[in-house]
Amino acid sequence: MATCNQCEFFNPIPSDADDYAAGKGDCVTEKRDEKGKYWLSRPVDEHASTCSNFHKQ
Amino acid sequence: MNDMTVQYSGKVLAFTPEDPREAQIPSDELHEHLQDPSTARTSRLKSRCRWKHASGGEFVEKGVQAGIERMRLITEAHKASVGKPEVIRRALMLSNFLTNTTLVVQEDEFIVGYHAEDPNMFPLYPELSYMAVLDYLKTDYAPQPAAEAADIVAYWKPHSLQAKCERYFDPVDLRRGYQVSTMEGPAFASGYNSIVPPYETVLEDGLLARIKLAESHIQEARAEMGAFPWNADAGLKWLDKVDNWEAMVIACKAVVAWARRHARLCKIVAERFESDPKRQAELLEIADICQRIPAEPCIGLKDAVQAKWFTFLLAHALERYASGYAQKEDSLLWPYYQASLAEGSQQPMTHQQVVELIEMERLKISEHGAGKSRAYREIFPGSNDLFIATLGGTNGDGSDACNDMTDAILEATKRIRTAEPSLVFRYSKKSRAKTLRWVFECIRDGLGYPSIKHDEIGTQQMLEYAKYSKTGNGATPEEAHYWVNVLCMSPGLAGRRKTQKTRSEGGSSIFPAKLLEISLNNGYDWSYADMQMGPETGYATDFKTFDELWEAFRKQYQYTIALAIRCKDVSRSQEIKYLQMPFVSALDDGCMELGIDANELSEQPNGWHNPITTIVAGNSLVAIKKLVFDEKKYTMTQLVDALKVNWEGHEEMRQDFKNAPKWGNDDPEADDLIVRFYEEIIGGEMSKNTNYSGGPVLPVGQAVGLYMEVGSRTGPTPDGRLGGEAADDGGISPYMGTDKKGPTAVLRSVAKVQKNQKANLLNQRLSVPIMRSKHGFDIWHAYMDTWHDLNIDHVQFNVVSTEEMKAAQREPEKHHDLIVRVSGYSARFVDIPTYGQNTIIARQEQDFSAADLEFLNVDL
Repeated sequence: MATCNQCEFFNPIPSDADDYAAGKGDCVTEKRDEKGKYWLSRPVDEHASTCSNFHKQ
Repeated sequence: MNDMTVQYSGKVLAFTPEDPREAQIPSDELHEHLQDPSTARTSRLKSRCRWKHASGGEFVEKGVQAGIERMRLITEAHKASVGKPEVIRRALMLSNFLTNTTLVVQEDEFIVGYHAEDPNMFPLYPELSYMAVLDYLKTDYAPQPAAEAADIVAYWKPHSLQAKCERYFDPVDLRRGYQVSTMEGPAFASGYNSIVPPYETVLEDGLLARIKLAESHIQEARAEMGAFPWNADAGLKWLDKVDNWEAMVIACKAVVAWARRHARLCKIVAERFESDPKRQAELLEIADICQRIPAEPCIGLKDAVQAKWFTFLLAHALERYASGYAQKEDSLLWPYYQASLAEGSQQPMTHQQVVELIEMERLKISEHGAGKSRAYREIFPGSNDLFIATLGGTNGDGSDACNDMTDAILEATKRIRTAEPSLVFRYSKKSRAKTLRWVFECIRDGLGYPSIKHDEIGTQQMLEYAKYSKTGNGATPEEAHYWVNVLCMSPGLAGRRKTQKTRSEGGSSIFPAKLLEISLNNGYDWSYADMQMGPETGYATDFKTFDELWEAFRKQYQYTIALAIRCKDVSRSQEIKYLQMPFVSALDDGCMELGIDANELSEQPNGWHNPITTIVAGNSLVAIKKLVFDEKKYTMTQLVDALKVNWEGHEEMRQDFKNAPKWGNDDPEADDLIVRFYEEIIGGEMSKNTNYSGGPVLPVGQAVGLYMEVGSRTGPTPDGRLGGEAADDGGISPYMGTDKKGPTAVLRSVAKVQKNQKANLLNQRLSVPIMRSKHGFDIWHAYMDTWHDLNIDHVQFNVVSTEEMKAAQREPEKHHDLIVRVSGYSARFVDIPTYGQNTIIARQEQDFSAADLEFLNVDL
């Protein structure tokens, strides 16, 4: 089963970050609606099963 | 083309536009030609702004919705922290939210940070009022998944502020309070709140320094507790303090990490999504800023504006909800403006770049949705929430506080042309001419703001309240100059310490017009709530003298104001126990020094309360005294019978009551009684109450949109008003259309109220041709100096023609930039329901006659 760390949108959190935890990453995705583009970042675990936004690296 | 002329001082004054190009613009679309964003970027940001305005309780833009993340994440932490001290639980709730919430960065923006998981969303607060959140669950704005949201609300119901407070009230009193008939509903049932965040400590110290301070206090406390000999009285006092400092550390560390998550997001977007090298560089610059601040002190204006924005989100939307945008913005930002414009600055900017940055800040606020209950969306028609910053005034040494930052804020405001945030300008005779001209430019462009407050009166009010400080540490004479409007009208200290943290101080309302209505009917509200709303004080048909009515009103007012203040203070008592604010506490020098939560520590009392609809009640008393008791033209029975049928079949009688003397015309027949009403009852009885902070409660008469909401709930009144019609639109404003003797007669009436209240809202509507003529500034300036000399606290202006408002009613799609002053806030005219629009059209448009100009002694 695909996991978050195989996704293009997964960005591991640097080890010197305040919120660093092993296996934790930022899932950063681009959205667009009639008002324009925006980007979202939510914390995910690298081993979490993927969501509908999954995009293989 | 305007052909108005006035003969004055041997001259014929013509009022043609100061800018000749305006002569070519049809007068019914003037406001659509006034915006002038300073850059292409702010023009784009405005055209794609995600407005969150509500009208009639509904959001105007489609797609606006409540988010679930805040509810979900604070609930998780609350459940996981059972057994820990409450203040630590509150810190962990904030920390869990900041660590796990979704962050948002939008195209083109320079100031980053949002309070929900999507830019079209806003957060909710089940820990405050379960009723307010339940209301959302029944609508299209419900957070999704709705079943999870319902479970969260059910979980919070017994833990909520509302449930904690309700048990201390007799159900009869509670039911009366919940009617919003004679008083605003209790804060614990609405969740509505206000605050003045101590922004200064974030910008000046940075949060890492605040964390260090709290940690050193914990070490000192532990050392004191370990000393020999043990003394229980002294030693046990450290326990709560240690909890508070530990909570501050948890909260501040979480905030630093959250800001740095924004830095990472901006860097990832720059490196992985953005192809424009210029925008890539800008995103990396934003990333650098968010990595450093609010952790460290700000080094320039970009830092300061971003740190201020993060602090605003935390204090007003994330740690807890609070309305407002209270800050002395020009003074707060002035050191960073100077740093950025100085030679060799580490964060260089030009003045025009500062203007652009402030335009962007104004658009950020315009996108900031508030998860208010439906009732609170309805009472601010056309508005998003109350966002009000303060400018001008005087410094601690008495010198003029206006500076180039003040001018940049005003220029940005005029150019970008948004309804929010509103501005207050503290008018002083020392205010420099250059800045006054910018204030005037905003007013004559019809923004409805800056609203003007009297600088010296506000400063004196701070000193007056300082006398009652329970800690003996109220505002010093120097600190008293650093005040702002907390929301629309009530002043309060700003700065590093002693600011208002919760709405048990300034705010909440009482409705004199409804109280007069029930005073005529033995305390019974027959026209709206259909229940007993106060003590049984007799039927007016049995009153033999006017004094009997006066005393019945006094008793109804006493009962209601005491209940209203009790509701605020009971809220405060439970906020202290269950709604601690460790982040805000960490910013306040007093809370930090003493280890006390911001809800609990009160060094400067600020106990204002809002009488709304006073003039309908006052005008009614004048008419009753004249027509029933003095002239005996009608009996009280005839009057009560006519009111009960909404004057139907009694039109001639209604006209007599409508034509009785009215407030705002410098007419002693009305003014003498109404001044007595303000000073003896409205202020006199209110100030007998002492609130949590130890000071008297003083009136800050205003209106927000409640003059419409409460007007619609108030039956016919003896001033000739029909049941359901709007009430008066400000604390001391003449009733719409009844101030017929010119603008200076209004000032002379208002100036008569001087005792125990200097914080009443005055709305005036000025002639568009006069204000836009070459004489406009000189007339306005002379008017303001006269207003100042008459010792009046407040005034604000609509400068918009009836013609243009009626054109906007016919073709709203062509008038999106028409902004009007409603009461303590401005709104896009087309976002206001027709009922509200008509109240603004009905306000008297004041011209200036030769007699007015002579009274103002204007030199033209």
